[in-house]
Amino acid sequence: MNRESTLLRFLEQRLVTCQLPSGGWGFGRHSSQPALEPTCLSLLALRARPDSVPERGLRFLLHAQNPNGSWPAFGGDDRDGCWATALAVTALVNCAQVTPPIDRGLGWLLKSRGRESHWLWKWKFRTADTRVRFNPDKFGWPWIPGTCSWVVPTAFSLLALKHNSVCCPTREVSFRIECGVEMLLDRACPDGGWNAGNGVVYGVPLAPHLDATAAALLALRGEQPNEIIATSLDWLEQRTGTCSAPWSLAWSILALDAHGRSTEAPIATLAAISGTDAIDDCATIAVVLLALGCSIEGNVFRVTS
Amino acid sequence: MTRRAVLAGSVGIAAGCATAAPFLLPRYDEVRKPARSRVAVLIAESYTPELERELWKALQLFNLDIHGKSVLLKPNLVDYIPGNYINTHPLLVAAAAECFRRLGCASVTVAEGPGHQRDTQLVLAESGFETELKKQGLPFTDLNRDELVETQLRSTYTGLNHLWLPRTVLSADFVVSMPKMKAHHWAGVTLSMKNMFGVVPGTKYGWPKNLLHWRGIQQSIVDICATVPIHFVIADGIMAMEGDGPLNGTPRRLGRVVLADDPVAADATCARLMGLTPERVPHIREAAKFLGNSSAAAIEQLGEPVTVPAAPFDVVPEFQYLRIAGS
Repeated sequence: MNRESTLLRFLEQRLVTCQLPSGGWGFGRHSSQPALEPTCLSLLALRARPDSVPERGLRFLLHAQNPNGSWPAFGGDDRDGCWATALAVTALVNCAQVTPPIDRGLGWLLKSRGRESHWLWKWKFRTADTRVRFNPDKFGWPWIPGTCSWVVPTAFSLLALKHNSVCCPTREVSFRIECGVEMLLDRACPDGGWNAGNGVVYGVPLAPHLDATAAALLALRGEQPNEIIATSLDWLEQRTGTCSAPWSLAWSILALDAHGRSTEAPIATLAAISGTDAIDDCATIAVVLLALGCSIEGNVFRVTS
Repeated sequence: MTRRAVLAGSVGIAAGCATAAPFLLPRYDEVRKPARSRVAVLIAESYTPELERELWKALQLFNLDIHGKSVLLKPNLVDYIPGNYINTHPLLVAAAAECFRRLGCASVTVAEGPGHQRDTQLVLAESGFETELKKQGLPFTDLNRDELVETQLRSTYTGLNHLWLPRTVLSADFVVSMPKMKAHHWAGVTLSMKNMFGVVPGTKYGWPKNLLHWRGIQQSIVDICATVPIHFVIADGIMAMEGDGPLNGTPRRLGRVVLADDPVAADATCARLMGLTPERVPHIREAAKFLGNSSAAAIEQLGEPVTVPAAPFDVVPEFQYLRIAGS
């Protein structure tokens, strides 16, 4: 067994031991509260295991779905749904083709939209509130209902819709994908990459974030090549060279890999910092596993057009 | 006067009362402010290991009884932009941790849920916190990813009934808010009370915590502080920020650390040191009704005197009215 697969098995084992009796995963290795983000990422990372681990995780995920088709952020959360719905749909599409829950999740996602999409708020952002530079006609998805569109939930929702409608999207799905893509392009930072939301506030260009940029680039894969995507990839490639944080590195690797850029150097860095007990967060362990294993097991976030 | 007119008048008065009541009734459960609050202003020109000695002397003035208690230090750790003084300095946090240990607390934890960056580990590493935390053997909790507890709010400024808040914060015996003194483009100032936005978990409410923006930043600050008690404040004003804070403002050397046993008194004092009128900051004004003291007369000054700077801190145009005229 080579060093690479030893590391993958080590991380996999750490994740397996963190699975809660309910089948879900919490953020912290010692947390007893299952949360959707670590559960979905862990399920994706462990999807190929032949034992009962993925099955128990799936059971938890299906049981956690809200009556309105959405998913909560964590076990016991309010029942109105949140951004994690997109991750849950992606996990289900990749791990088990259970159509009704996926359809209900997608139905909720299609109804969910940033608050700026309402005519009243569009008017406000065009006339009275112009300190944040963005075009409210281009909207995506919020973190929780009743708030504005932001980059990460929009990127995850686009991935969920694209994953599930590779061949023949409905008109509604096509409209939301088109609108979400335009929103991401509208809110890019002036020199490439993405911050949490807008690229300019009070006339000041914001600095991009690694994980938000990676998520946006994953969602934009397959779109017409353009300067924003190219400069953002260049920025990501260059910035990963100085990053030592596993979460950001792992997301960057997945994005660079999806766009056919070299991942050799960031994978080496990530492997060097992942072989110890230093990472104490299940969501991070899972995304590190997905990144390190993407050349072997495939990149789950790479949407084929 | 006819009977019909009396009836119509009564109905009108009743309708008026019903409409006005929500605006006139107090929006908090009880008045909890102390009769007097204590604030100490400490002069500190730079971030050096000597800070600990100075902080220790200043803390002695408060006679804090934290023996056997779990202490939670909540710095302001938002994001990292090289050259910008955005975050509470790690040396001040380390100094505070050491002082509380010397006072006999059972444990010290540093905890924060960065509002902009999802990758807390990245912010910790690049801001210098990771090195300092390791050096001091201080545990850190990412509040964005902590276990959450449904918590009824103790005031109703946002109209929200409850928030999901991190177990680590709710279970701490002694919460110390350690803000960076900054002007803020949405809130006017960000001090010990605004700093508590960081306890609201991103995994539930997003990055930034956009629900709180929609519910009103000033209102959210008061609701959070009414619900999560701040037992002590150590505010980092050695290098502060003016203008377009909290991220892109201009560094301003103030050379002060403010300690207080009341967050409202702390924020009022910090605002005065910044050349701003605390009573005009909506969340300080509201919190002064029931959580603490903003009036200088109700604040016992323990350290250096509060001096208003010759030039008040620069703020964005919407908050120009905060600047003390003639200072």
